Amino acid sequence: MENSVTQNGIATVLSNQSTDSSSVRPEIVVQVVDLKPVGNRYTFNANDGKMKIKAMLPATFRSDIISGKIQNLGLIRLLDYTANDIPGKSEEKYLLVTKCEAVAPPLDAEIKAEIKASTGIMLKSKQEFVAKSASQIINEQRANAAPAARMAITRRVHPLVSLNPYQGSWTIKVRVTNKAVMRTYKNARGEGCVFNVELTDEEGTQIQATMFNAAARKFYDTFQMGKVYYISRGSLKLANKQFKTVQNDYEMTLNENSEVEEARSEEMFIPETKFNFVPIDELGAYVNQKELIDVIGVVQSVSPTMSIRRKNDNEMIPKRDITLADETKKTVVVSLWNDLATGLGQELLDMADNYPIIAIKSLKVGDFQGVSLSTVSRSNVVINPDSPEAAKLKSWYDSEGKETSMSTIGSGISSSANNGSRSMYSDRVCLSHFTSNPSLGEEKPVFFSTRAYISFIKPDQTMWYRACKTCNKKVTEAMDSGYWCEGCQKKDEECSLRYIMAVKASDSTGEAWCFAFNDEAEKIIGCTADELNKLKSSEEGEANEFQTKLKEATWSSHLFRVSVSKQEYNSEKRQRITVKGVSPIDFAAETRLLLQDISKNKTSQ
Amino acid sequence: MDTSSPSAFVNGALLRRYIGQKVRTVVQVIGSDMGSVVGKSTDDLQIFVKGSPPASTTTYLEVIGIAESENSIRAETWTNFGISFDALNYNELCKLANGEFKHLFI
Ligand SMILES: [Zn+2]
Repeated sequence: MENSVTQNGIATVLSNQSTDSSSVRPEIVVQVVDLKPVGNRYTFNANDGKMKIKAMLPATFRSDIISGKIQNLGLIRLLDYTANDIPGKSEEKYLLVTKCEAVAPPLDAEIKAEIKASTGIMLKSKQEFVAKSASQIINEQRANAAPAARMAITRRVHPLVSLNPYQGSWTIKVRVTNKAVMRTYKNARGEGCVFNVELTDEEGTQIQATMFNAAARKFYDTFQMGKVYYISRGSLKLANKQFKTVQNDYEMTLNENSEVEEARSEEMFIPETKFNFVPIDELGAYVNQKELIDVIGVVQSVSPTMSIRRKNDNEMIPKRDITLADETKKTVVVSLWNDLATGLGQELLDMADNYPIIAIKSLKVGDFQGVSLSTVSRSNVVINPDSPEAAKLKSWYDSEGKETSMSTIGSGISSSANNGSRSMYSDRVCLSHFTSNPSLGEEKPVFFSTRAYISFIKPDQTMWYRACKTCNKKVTEAMDSGYWCEGCQKKDEECSLRYIMAVKASDSTGEAWCFAFNDEAEKIIGCTADELNKLKSSEEGEANEFQTKLKEATWSSHLFRVSVSKQEYNSEKRQRITVKGVSPIDFAAETRLLLQDISKNKTSQ
Repeated sequence: MDTSSPSAFVNGALLRRYIGQKVRTVVQVIGSDMGSVVGKSTDDLQIFVKGSPPASTTTYLEVIGIAESENSIRAETWTNFGISFDALNYNELCKLANGEFKHLFI
């Protein structure tokens, strides 16, 4: 990839402009400077380090510019263009670019020739001037960074959802929605300190940003809970799924050279808290996993505060238990800790007679009493949220929920699992456990964890259904056009596809057919049902992309959380295994498990 | 599979059994200079690895070479194993590979 502009590129453009349109124009790399929208077009100055010329990009480049492909100070290769007269100014020309491609992400500054050229006028001298390469500029800039000024030049706010590790420079505008305390650590390389913040943008997308040592010390006081910042020059990497606390495939690291600037006196936005509620009866799948979950429920009871002695430092911390119920007719105990126990907990106790609805973001699911929930430092509680879910729950509770008898989620699971302690590792079974126990799940569904390979995905099965974009229920094609949702009692022009598929899982002991619904199937297949459908319809024939995608998903191993139940098919009861959770394999943890098994086998022999 | 030149999985304590023979081990790098690396074995013993280490090493490093003494290896192959490595698991593997399951390993 080229990292510098074409020498004398602008001059070449201007000297070629008179030739007729059929002739081949040389491809020239220029730097985009002063890029700005004008109506639905964009103007910029094309810079070759020696000369600049006014240029215009038509509206067709809008998506490239919005997506950040073409950015201010970036390099583009001109593939098709015409140089036109500016009306009324016979000597000046402007370039209409009809085809171009991005060559390099934004540089830190405008490329300038070593010797100053007077602006706009081509030098008559025959001497060849060397334009600086991008890497030269970057190196020089590193030495004398002027953050605020530079950020102002390139400040075009990217939505968090668009960031990825392969992108050039970007600026985000985010609110600090959680700030952790500074921690110190010690390892082979010495001691250090680290802290992280959770950042949320206007669209509610979140990302975790981590800072070490000098960066941690530099930004610890800068970042304040609830304030809004412009941030650039961070780096992204794939999030460690094991420790992921926000819904983002990536996490960000900020170093000393990263730029963080508070967005003062600007319009503030309040990011909406995005919830991803898990129904209470499905919490079993999350027990003792690192993934944090969100829950919404009707408050059934609130306990007084208790003081619990923390194991690691003997400190006494306040705790309060509340019981929540939802439409699954199950209840679960949520332990509120620290300030949530004393402050918000007291508030809840005072209003308990009115059965408030609460939504809690980021709860840990533990195995105490079978299944229980616990707040962590970053948990976020909203009382009586103004949301459709809350309204629906409230009306269910008022109309029937109040009179319904409910059971606690924990008791059901722990009795059926026949042992109190449950985790991804302690209730681990092989597939033969299901196939050799036909009565499994006879009374009520039982949950297990199993590590297995996906061995077969039947390509010609019905893999998805048309779902309502609001409630995910199945829709039917409306008479004229669009789709009718019986649940919402409304028509929508569009629908989305949601998976429901059968997959065959195999391990060393055997194989079993499992059913997977949308979220789990997405993790197994690696794309959404809509995306897979596109692949299916895009190509015909034997070896199309659809087949390839399914093949790629086959013979990869996962850790599955499954429920086993008995269902009637044609008056015959059959075992049904449903995938409730799919996690990547933690090889170190799996190895430990295998080592345990080896030593168990040794002692039992 | 090439079985002509096997390299035994060892931790710090097992090194003495293979003096003069080819071994492989993973150490946590404690210090390094031009001609050697000082590492901590997965059973917390110090191992000196001689030879020409890579210009930059990660926290964990796998070395394959000849055991020169009970605490030193002359390495031929150096592989950075990154910053996250489960030393406990590796140590158990070394014990199994030199214990009753020795016959399963080359
Ligand atoms: Zn609907």
